[in-house]
Amino acid sequence: MTDVHRTVDAIWKMESARIVAALTRMVRDVGVAEELAQDALVAALEQWPESGVPDNPGAWLTTVAKRRAVDHIRRDRRSAEHDELLAHDLAERRRLEDGVGGPEYDLGAAEPASEQEDVLRLMFVSCHSVLPTEARVALTLRLLGGLTASEIARAFLTVEPLIARRIATAKRTLAEERVPFELPDGADPAERLSSVLEVVYLIFNEGYSATSGDDLMRPGLCLEALRLGRLLAESAPDEAEVHGLVALMEIQASRTAARTGPAGEPVPLHTQNRGRWDRLLIRRGFAAMLRARAVGTPGRPGPYVLQAAIAVCHAQARTAEETDWVRIAGLYAALARLLPTAVVRLNQAVAVGMADGPAAGLALVDTLTWDPTLRDYHLLPGVRGDLLLRLGRGEEARREFERAALLTGNAAERAYLTRRAEAIPVGDASTRTFGEAIDAFLAQDRLAPATARSYGQTLWRLRLSLGVGMPLASLTADQIAGAFRGSWGGVAAATWNRHRAAVRAFGAWTHTPGLDAGIPQRMPERRSAPAPAPIPPATVPPGTAWPGDVEAALRERTLWTLLRESGATVAAVLALNVQDLDLPERRARRADRRSDRRSDRRGTWITWRSGTAALLPELLNGRTRGPVFLADRRPGPARAGTLGAEDICPQTGRGRLSYERAEFLCKSATGHSLRRLRDRGGEGTNPAAGPTSPR
Amino acid sequence: MRYLMTSRASENAKAPDEKLFAEMGAFIEELSAAGVLLATGGLEPGGVRLVSEGDDVTVTDGPFAESKEAVVGFALVEVRSKEEAVELGRRFRRIVGDGESMLQQVFGP
Repeated sequence: MTDVHRTVDAIWKMESARIVAALTRMVRDVGVAEELAQDALVAALEQWPESGVPDNPGAWLTTVAKRRAVDHIRRDRRSAEHDELLAHDLAERRRLEDGVGGPEYDLGAAEPASEQEDVLRLMFVSCHSVLPTEARVALTLRLLGGLTASEIARAFLTVEPLIARRIATAKRTLAEERVPFELPDGADPAERLSSVLEVVYLIFNEGYSATSGDDLMRPGLCLEALRLGRLLAESAPDEAEVHGLVALMEIQASRTAARTGPAGEPVPLHTQNRGRWDRLLIRRGFAAMLRARAVGTPGRPGPYVLQAAIAVCHAQARTAEETDWVRIAGLYAALARLLPTAVVRLNQAVAVGMADGPAAGLALVDTLTWDPTLRDYHLLPGVRGDLLLRLGRGEEARREFERAALLTGNAAERAYLTRRAEAIPVGDASTRTFGEAIDAFLAQDRLAPATARSYGQTLWRLRLSLGVGMPLASLTADQIAGAFRGSWGGVAAATWNRHRAAVRAFGAWTHTPGLDAGIPQRMPERRSAPAPAPIPPATVPPGTAWPGDVEAALRERTLWTLLRESGATVAAVLALNVQDLDLPERRARRADRRSDRRSDRRGTWITWRSGTAALLPELLNGRTRGPVFLADRRPGPARAGTLGAEDICPQTGRGRLSYERAEFLCKSATGHSLRRLRDRGGEGTNPAAGPTSPR
Repeated sequence: MRYLMTSRASENAKAPDEKLFAEMGAFIEELSAAGVLLATGGLEPGGVRLVSEGDDVTVTDGPFAESKEAVVGFALVEVRSKEEAVELGRRFRRIVGDGESMLQQVFGP
C-alpha cells in the first residue's frame, strides 16, 4: 500500500458510516449505496496521487459519492417511486456541482442532526432481524466500521471469501425483504435498540474474550465495538441503554493490559494489578454512566446499565478486598430478574460467593448444574472449582478445573485452568478429615444408588470405629485393617470381600491406594452351616426368591439362624435390643417382659453360635441402640401410637419387626412357620433351650 | 494505537480569536464523543527543567530563553492507524494556524 492508499483507507474508516448512511438515504439500498461509496474511493485513489490529498478529504469523498448516487438515480429514472426523490436530488446535485472542482467543497451538505439519524437508520438496517447474527456482525463492521472483508475475516479468524459472501448475501436479503431505511416503530425504544446493542456487544466480546484461537483478546475488535458504541451514543443520545453499553465496554476495555499475564495467560479480576487499569478509559466509562443516569428512568435500569453499574463497582475498588460485593450481588439479582439466563445466574453465584461466602455461592451454582445452556460452558466448572477450593474441597476443585480445561476452546485459558488444577496437591489430604472424605466420596454423582448404599454401610461402620475427625492423611492401612477386622472379622468371605471392595474404591478415590493393604481378599469358603440351612431343600421351590431386598434377606437369615441356634421363642428373639447384645460372649439378655416370670426355667440369656455371630455385626451395621430386628420402613401414624420408645430405632426411625410380618415373610419364602424353623434347629443342639422348650 | 501530539508555538502565530475558539471547541467535542481524544491540555510557558549528569540532578525553574522550542499543548489520541492520526493532526493544524506539531506513537499499556 502506498502512502496515499493508506491515507484513503484511514479517511474511509473515519467517514464510511456517515457516507454510506447518506447514500443509503438517497438510493434506499445499502448494497447500491456501498458500491457507490466504493466508486468514490476508487476515484480518490486515482486522483489523489496526482492532485495531492485534498484539504478536507472526508468532504471530498462524500461529495464525489453523492454525485455518483445522483447519476445512479438518474439512470434508474424509470423507477416511478424515485421520481419525487429525484427532483430533490437533482437540486442537491446542482448545488454539489457548484462546489466540486472549486477550492471549497460544500461541507454542510446535510444537517448534523439528520446525518446522525441516517447513521442510526443504517445501524438498524444492518442489525435487522431478517439477517442471521453473523451476517449482522459482518455487515455492521463493513458498513459502519469501514472494515474490508479481509480485515473482518482476520478478526474472526476466517477466510476472506467467506466474509465477502456473507456480506453479499446479507445485502441481497435486505433488498429482497425490502427492509426500509427507517427507524423501526415500537412502543419501547430500548427494545428497538436491543438488536443493535446486541451486535455491538457481540463484536466487543469476540474481541475481549476470544472464543477461539490462541490469543485471549483481539483488541482491534474491542476498539471497533467501542467506536460503534460511541457512534450509536452520538446518534441516539437519549437512550440510557446505549450509554450503559458504552460505559460497560469502556470499563471492561480499561482492564485490557491487566487481564493477561506475560505469557498471555488470563489473570482473574480479583488478582489483577489495578495500577495497570487504564484510568482514561475508566473515566470515560464513568462519564458514559453519568449520561446513562441522566437520561434513564430512575429506578428502572436496563440490562446494560446494570452491567455497567457492576463494572463501575469493580473500577471504583482500589483493591480487590475493597470490592463492594454486597452491592454487586444486589445488582446481579436485579439483572437476573431482567435477564434470567444461566450465564447471568452463574455470575450472580460468583458475586454471592464473595458477598455471603463460598457455600452460598456453591448452592446457587449447583442449581445450574443441569442447565442445558451451560452444559459445555467452561466457566461453570471453573466457577465451581473456585468455590470448592475456597471451601477446602481441593479434590473436587481440581476435577472441576480439569473439566473446565477440557471444555474451553481458547488455548491460553486452557493452559491457565490446567495450571490451576495442577496447583492443587493430589489428594489434598492435608486438610480433609476422614469423615469429610467419606461424605464427599459417597456424594459422587457417578455412584449408582445401590453402590453408594453398599459403600456407605462399610464406611459408616469404619467411621464409627475410627472417628470422623481424624485427618485423612494420617490414616494408615494398619488402622483401617484393625477396624475392619474388628467389624467384620467373623463374616462370610463374600461379605468380607464386599466391604473390602468398598475400602479399595474409597482408597483409589482419595489417592491413597494402599489403604486396603492390610485387608487380604478371602476366598469364598464352603460354609459348614450356611444361613438358610434349616430349610430342607426339597421344601423350597426352585427359584424362590429371598423376600424383600438384600438387606431384608440378611435380616431374615439372621433371625432364622438365631431362632435355630438359640431355641428361644420367636417373641423373645424379636424383642431383643441392640444394647442387650453381648457379641463377644454370643449371648443377649432377654428383653421380653414375660421372660421375667419364666426366668427360672429359661434363664436370663439367649445364646447363639457361630452362624448368628457371623451375621449379627453386619445386620447391626453400627447401630448401638433399639430393636435388633427392624421393620422395612418407619411406622405409619396408626402404628406409631402402639409402639413404645424402646420399639423404635433411634438411628433409622424404623419400628420393631412384628411377629406377624416375620411369620409372613418366613412362610412366603420357605413355606414353613417360624416355630418350625426354631424347633428343627433347636433340637438337641441348644443346651440353654433344652428339649423341653415349649412348642 | 495511541499517538501523542505535541505542539509548539510559532513566532508569527496569529492571536487566538473567537473563531478559533469556536472551531477548536467543536473539534475537541467531536473527537471526545467519538472516543478518539483521550486527553488534551495546554502547558504553562516555562515550567521546571531537570537535568541529570552523573549523580547530580540539577533543577532549574523557568522561564527559559529558548521559548520558541517550548511545547505549549498536547493531545493523546486513540486511532487505528498512523494515517488516521495524521489526518486528525492535519485538521488540528488547519484550525490553529501557523506553528508545528509532533506526532509520536505511544508504546506500552
